[in-house]
Amino acid sequence: MLNEFSEVAKTLSNRFIQQWKDDGKQVVGFMCSYVPEEIICAAGLLPFRMRGIGASSTSIADTYFGPVICSFPKCILQLAGEGKYDFLDGIILIPGCDSIRRIDECWRKAAEESHGKFPPFHLYYGVPHKLTDYSLEWFVAETRKLVESLERHFGRKITPEDLTHAIKIYNQGRILLTRLDELRAGENVPISGADATAVIISAGVMPRDAYNRLLEELLQKLSRSTNGMTGKKRLLLAGSIIDDIDLVRLIEASGGIVVADTLCFGSRSYVDLVEEDGDPLVAIARRYLSHKLCPRMFGSYKERLEFMKQRVRQARVDAVILQNIRFCDMHGSENSLYERDLEAMGIPCLKIEREYGPLVEEGRIKMRVDAFMESLNT
Amino acid sequence: MRKEYREYHFDRMVQSIIHFASLAYDGTPKEAFGMFRYAPRFREAIETILKTGEPGVLLLKMIDKYLIEVLTAHERGKKIALCTFNFSPGVLKPLDVVPICLEPVTTLGVMMWLRGLGEYLNYCCEIGFTETSCSAQRGALGAYLAGLGVKPDFVLCNSIGVCDTNATAFNFAAEYLDLPFYQLNAPPLLTDERSQKYHRQDFRGLISFAEEQTGKKLDVDLLREVIIETDKQDMIMCEIEDLMRLVPSPVPGIFNVFMYSAKYIYGGSKEATDVMASMLEVAKRNASEGRAGTTSGKEDARAFAVYVDHYSAQLRPWSWLDSKNISHLGCMMNGFWPVHAPYAEENLKEGTYIMDSTNEDTMIDSLADQMSRMPMVKQIRGPYDDPHQWLSDTMASIRTYKPDFCMYTGTIGCRNTWGAIKILARDTEKMGIPTLIIFGDAFDHRITSWESMRDKIDEFLTVRGILK
Amino acid sequence: MLVAGCDVGSLTAKAVILSDGKILSQAVRRANSRPEESAKEIMDLALADAGLAFSDLAYVIGTGYGRRQISFVNEVVSEIVCHGKAAQWLNPSVRMVIDVGGQDAKAILVDENGSVVRYVYNDKCASGTGRFLEIMAEALEVPLGELGEQATISQNPVSISNQCTVFAETEVVSLLNNGKAIPDIASGLMRAMAHRIAALAKSIGLEPEIAMSGGVAKNQGMFSALEEVLGLKIMRLEGDPQINGALGAALLAEEAMRKTVS
Ligand SMILES: Nc1ncnc2c1ncn2[C@@H]1O[C@H](COP(=O)(O)OP(=O)(O)OP(=O)(O)O)[C@@H](O)[C@H]1O
Ligand code: SF4
Ligand SMILES: [Mg+2]
Repeated sequence: MLNEFSEVAKTLSNRFIQQWKDDGKQVVGFMCSYVPEEIICAAGLLPFRMRGIGASSTSIADTYFGPVICSFPKCILQLAGEGKYDFLDGIILIPGCDSIRRIDECWRKAAEESHGKFPPFHLYYGVPHKLTDYSLEWFVAETRKLVESLERHFGRKITPEDLTHAIKIYNQGRILLTRLDELRAGENVPISGADATAVIISAGVMPRDAYNRLLEELLQKLSRSTNGMTGKKRLLLAGSIIDDIDLVRLIEASGGIVVADTLCFGSRSYVDLVEEDGDPLVAIARRYLSHKLCPRMFGSYKERLEFMKQRVRQARVDAVILQNIRFCDMHGSENSLYERDLEAMGIPCLKIEREYGPLVEEGRIKMRVDAFMESLNT
Repeated sequence: MRKEYREYHFDRMVQSIIHFASLAYDGTPKEAFGMFRYAPRFREAIETILKTGEPGVLLLKMIDKYLIEVLTAHERGKKIALCTFNFSPGVLKPLDVVPICLEPVTTLGVMMWLRGLGEYLNYCCEIGFTETSCSAQRGALGAYLAGLGVKPDFVLCNSIGVCDTNATAFNFAAEYLDLPFYQLNAPPLLTDERSQKYHRQDFRGLISFAEEQTGKKLDVDLLREVIIETDKQDMIMCEIEDLMRLVPSPVPGIFNVFMYSAKYIYGGSKEATDVMASMLEVAKRNASEGRAGTTSGKEDARAFAVYVDHYSAQLRPWSWLDSKNISHLGCMMNGFWPVHAPYAEENLKEGTYIMDSTNEDTMIDSLADQMSRMPMVKQIRGPYDDPHQWLSDTMASIRTYKPDFCMYTGTIGCRNTWGAIKILARDTEKMGIPTLIIFGDAFDHRITSWESMRDKIDEFLTVRGILK
Repeated sequence: MLVAGCDVGSLTAKAVILSDGKILSQAVRRANSRPEESAKEIMDLALADAGLAFSDLAYVIGTGYGRRQISFVNEVVSEIVCHGKAAQWLNPSVRMVIDVGGQDAKAILVDENGSVVRYVYNDKCASGTGRFLEIMAEALEVPLGELGEQATISQNPVSISNQCTVFAETEVVSLLNNGKAIPDIASGLMRAMAHRIAALAKSIGLEPEIAMSGGVAKNQGMFSALEEVLGLKIMRLEGDPQINGALGAALLAEEAMRKTVS
């Protein structure tokens, strides 16, 4: 079963996507955890969280993007340019962070110039960077526009019932993922961080009801498991995007075990539930705009620190790994604040900068994590 | 940071240099240039400014006055706000708040010192900034974070939704110094009703926040003064910009940076208006004589910078262009978009602002509109080719000023313009405007020296047949 | 009529002497840190080879990174123009030239007269230059001249996506430690660099009539990697591609003389 998840996490166009397409249904990619998957799902479409795994160069992306840009959106554009995203029927782009939002024009230009590899539907979905009554009002209207565009392009009305149904499924998924976290928080850790990461990543790239079923089965198995891992240093992983289980595996190869994270492909995507009563669209908008766990929500560092501390406590974390992709100033700078505040509480931190992409810096990262783990053990 | 840097307050040092430079000119020219013997490091920049005559002197006096206001604010019982450059300071006057305009202060530092602000830039990285983050903030901010300047009381940020690296720096400063923080946030759209309403409410939030911090109420009489002054000063600025359309352009290239410095530091105050008025005089005189604004009075080519200028070389980029008889027609930092602006073509009027002094509400709305259209806040918020965004504004400037070529220089922190510049350059090239992209950093000469940037521009001018 | 071109690049100095459209002699040598000195040395070398004295030359054009420091030339011209000129002279159908030297990579679009239409330099922070290959050859302990050959025998090229020379070097070392074969690493490096150069060329609009110049064009591995990545045949120009800058300068010197005569 774990194999199933890791298969999904490791392949861009996984078997669920293929099955979905074979059934004649459509897939819409989305760039960041601030896009409400519920809405895409309610339209009868499969939401697919965009990833850059498997890109081995950025030559196509570099003809559009300039230098000094995060390699994550570059890898995504590269894959699209190589035709690897040909299963998409649409994409939703968003001002998550600056590198993420700049893929918009690059994507459109690349689409103009490389016939047929890019999906016909394209939407730029604005998300404010603060939560106030007026920003929520703006965002509700923007979300309504999203609904209408999907309806228009894909020719299917999204009813309140569709939305309510989608909310239920996604909330259920979030609750299940929280249970996985609880299991990882135990003394006896039944699943490695790398495997857990595979499970979590899969949530964004396969149909959610099928996912929930699979996850439920896994949870049952894990809760019965008696041969968990003990005695290892317990790590929390924080910072920029990680959707590469090999990176987690590399970190764990130095002897620790990742038991929690505050990543956007990770726990940030499932901590807050959507309220199940009231206008479903407003409830969805409120959930996403209230979500302050990404540094894109400026001025909310203290809340994020609180969340971090809570995760550290819950999962009985011994040390925190704070990483950022090169050119990600948001996570990079905030990692330094975490380092200051967590170390003051006696929690050792390791801060690293890395590239996104196939483990190009294996040696460099390994050296640092090794040294860090050694210092923890002495 | 090296020990000797810890000996002096950064803002005090900048102020005293500017102060003496501006005074020197009150004496005889001989006295002035005599003084420069004792100030070899910043001589070049100051000379370039003073060479313009009265406008340069007024500019220095204006900056001097501003820096004194910051340095003495606490003595005078006023609160100090750490602000982004793209923050129109007019609204702070009726709130009795003095701004530290961070990037302009960085700019002064990098222009004045041959060694640049490397020590302060590095200090930010020592305490936790990424080295890839924007140098415009890291420069002066390093000094403030190290306690080598006045201590701000709160932070006002106008770059949220516009530039992450900028916003991150201000966010970090607020956390690091434990200061209250208010952010104006730009949605990706500008002119639709929904976004306009958002901006206006967001701006009212800023006023309440500042009132809370100072314990004082917005002074409506002062507000009216600011509104009237803003309009007056914009009219003059637009008249200068209108003259820039002439061939040859009678406006000295460096006036563009004077104009935006004045707006960033004293927008809405008489101090800025005086500098503008003096520049207009010079430009008109040149125009009536059919002279170009260059030192030689000749114009061999016209340049437009699609993003920022290059500041870390004692103003050498301006003197070099001038020596080549090239009229510098400004950059994105000049794009304030008042309704009178010559580039605000009929179909782009929606993207402008007007100053309406009818009542308190219209006045606040006017300032909110202005704030949401500040350079960069306006153009960098959404997809580059959306209405009123980078492409459309660049095209409007090109149609207005008819440059022979465009240049891009920025900072290595700029994800947004570096993200879209290759595409933008294709569009301007398609329009028939040769466009040069230079890798460098406007505030950090260690990335690429001005000399090597200059060689690249020079080569470009020759190879592309712009200068015969 | 005897004319010469002298190209002082960031890594090597090159000189070409032309006699009525024919190459009389040419020379390449590593440059030292003083461009003026390097220029003199290389000119003397080319002159000696042709059995000439400097006073025999009617016109000399200097080019390259160090061109401003050469005092004995009649004129200096950008290397962009020179590379465009030479390639187009060697094969009139050329419309795009990719010059990869020690420190810079450039893509140049030329028209039917060899005049430059548009050009672009590599982004400074990306490593797509000859010096990059030299550093990697050192890290692999393979002579530079063999690196290309090694790459061509690779069965299973590794993937290297690091943009930064410093990072890439540590990456290469760790690949070696992990037991990867040198040909596979060499091939991975060539591909990574080819991808970067291809991106450069594409950013100003690829033309199918494409030629390569500069020292890196001598690297067979690089040449084929670039062909593969571009999906195009790159024209093989006659002679040593490394001297093309100097050749272009000499050709322009000839043109200049012709103009003064007529
Ligand atoms: N025989 C060879 N085989 C393979 N590569 C070679 C050979 N000779 C030179 N090179 C490559 O050519 C590079 C130097 O190229 P070139 O002489 O064109 O540089 P340059 O003109 O000095 O530099 P630039 O144009 O960047 O200022 C070297 O770094 C090396 O990688
Ligand atoms: S880091 Fe934040 S902005 Fe970037 S993709 Fe994740 S959630 Fe979106
Ligand atoms: Mg060369």
